[in-house]
Amino acid sequence: MTELVEEFYDEPTDYVEDEALGQIVDAMWASYFAHTEFLLPSFDQHDIEGDILAASVTISGARPGIVTVSVERALGLPLAAALLQDDGELTDEDVYDSLGEVANIVGGNIKALVPDAGPLGLPVVSTAKPLHGASDRLAARLDANWQGQWLTFEVWLAGGNGPENVGG
Amino acid sequence: MKALVVDDSRAMRKIIAGALRKLGYETVEAADGAEALKVLESGPLPDLATVDWNMPVMDGLTFVTQVRANRDYRALTLMMVTTEAEHGQIVRALAAGAHEYLIKPFTVESLEEKLSLLGLLPEGAQA
Repeated sequence: MTELVEEFYDEPTDYVEDEALGQIVDAMWASYFAHTEFLLPSFDQHDIEGDILAASVTISGARPGIVTVSVERALGLPLAAALLQDDGELTDEDVYDSLGEVANIVGGNIKALVPDAGPLGLPVVSTAKPLHGASDRLAARLDANWQGQWLTFEVWLAGGNGPENVGG
Repeated sequence: MKALVVDDSRAMRKIIAGALRKLGYETVEAADGAEALKVLESGPLPDLATVDWNMPVMDGLTFVTQVRANRDYRALTLMMVTTEAEHGQIVRALAAGAHEYLIKPFTVESLEEKLSLLGLLPEGAQA
């Protein structure tokens, strides 16, 4: 039975798909951002142009990977203000912490879909596009618009020999 | 009633503490399990601790295990509030001594429901 299940779940995209990622992001938005503008998903890809702010969490285990959320840097502050429901003076730390928590929430729920997953890493926030393993495959992606700017959520999972952080 | 909110994310501490204060709780915050143990040592004992799982220095499961090993803290109710959503992780946390488990993202209503089940919804607060 176990062999059959493993064979059935041969490809990472079989157990994490765009729809599941969309449902997780929807639930998060309904919980913490419902008082703001709607998040509008797009069927098209919209790569972040200009300065980027990205948060990621790693998934360890039999099928390691990484879950990322990328936004235009200018969107970081309104996103943090919305999550914290605080229009006061927010610091860079508030912005990084908020985006990291968004990645953490999405990553934790994605991890629950991955068979034999190990611990979730702590969020890492940077001003560069997140790295994923050379052999990782893009299992799911969601592009969505909020306040006229784009957010990109991605799930990369090891396709075979596990991740090697060489970029991508 | 008093609650200790343990989470390494300031944003999440603010969200949870804000929701608890609206329900009538006084709140105190800690950024990891070790800091939370210091809060408990300094007393008085809160009625409730909400505990994240993945934190630096000391994770939530270790914190729960250490609290449950100390008889002085037996009156403290522990609720995991975490993104760890797998059934196996829920079982581990409950086996370690957590009383309830709330998966992020959560709504204020789901938090109230868990508090109601624990008998920790302050008088006058709606479940």
